[in-house]
Amino acid sequence: MPTRALRASFYAYPLVNATHVLSIGALLTSVVLMDLRILGFLSAQNRQPFLKLMRRVALTAFCGAVATGVPMFAIRASEYFFNPAFRLKMLLIVLAGFNLVALRVFASEPDGTPSEKGGARFFAGLSLVLWLGVLVCGRFIGFL
Amino acid sequence: MRMPSPLRPVPGLSFALVLATVFPALAHHGWSWTEDEFSEIEGTITQVYVGNPHATLDVDVEGEIWRVELAPPSQTMRAGFTEETAKPGDEVTAIGNRSLDENERRMKAVRIIVNGSTYDVYPSRVPSN
Repeated sequence: MPTRALRASFYAYPLVNATHVLSIGALLTSVVLMDLRILGFLSAQNRQPFLKLMRRVALTAFCGAVATGVPMFAIRASEYFFNPAFRLKMLLIVLAGFNLVALRVFASEPDGTPSEKGGARFFAGLSLVLWLGVLVCGRFIGFL
Repeated sequence: MRMPSPLRPVPGLSFALVLATVFPALAHHGWSWTEDEFSEIEGTITQVYVGNPHATLDVDVEGEIWRVELAPPSQTMRAGFTEETAKPGDEVTAIGNRSLDENERRMKAVRIIVNGSTYDVYPSRVPSN
């Protein structure tokens, strides 16, 4: 949808916004469950298929969040660009990305599954903190 | 024997919820961040925005730029105010509730007067004369 239409719309903006919230809800849920499993909780869940499923949900949800977030940002880009909560949110997303790469490179099996050693737990703990930070920063954008 | 582990409460999530509830008054959403009393500012418009999530005016009041928040775009346009209604350089009077933070130059307007016309963007909140 063109930025101009979204900008003045009555229905589209709240619907895009709701989809963004839905995506973030799914993303946070899958990331938290994935990290908890790596940390050793939820041990009733078969590790590899569970992590694989959660990763797939998380990636899909992240794409949904980007697809709905970019148009809302574009409506008033210069305004949001200077919003401290928005900037911190973007920084935390980048850090979460690096964290994911680090988990993959330094603490995963050749098939991509996070290892059961301490290193993977460290990155999983960091991931929890970073993504919860993203959630809170996102909520604060409208309040600064 | 391995016990099935129930989903335990997540400390981080609880912390986030607590954070979200202990900072109630920062919002430009709603009116919680504004004074109850009405005030009035007059100045020169420097920027007009009528769009989501809500419309705003930037107003130069004796050299200080105020952010005047209006209603969401549909409600602002219903009041008769569009982006064509005013332009930078126009004089404006805004009546509304200013931020509780005295250092913050921000107001949520219920009524604005531009070029001799009055626009009630929050008609139900306009103080009775």
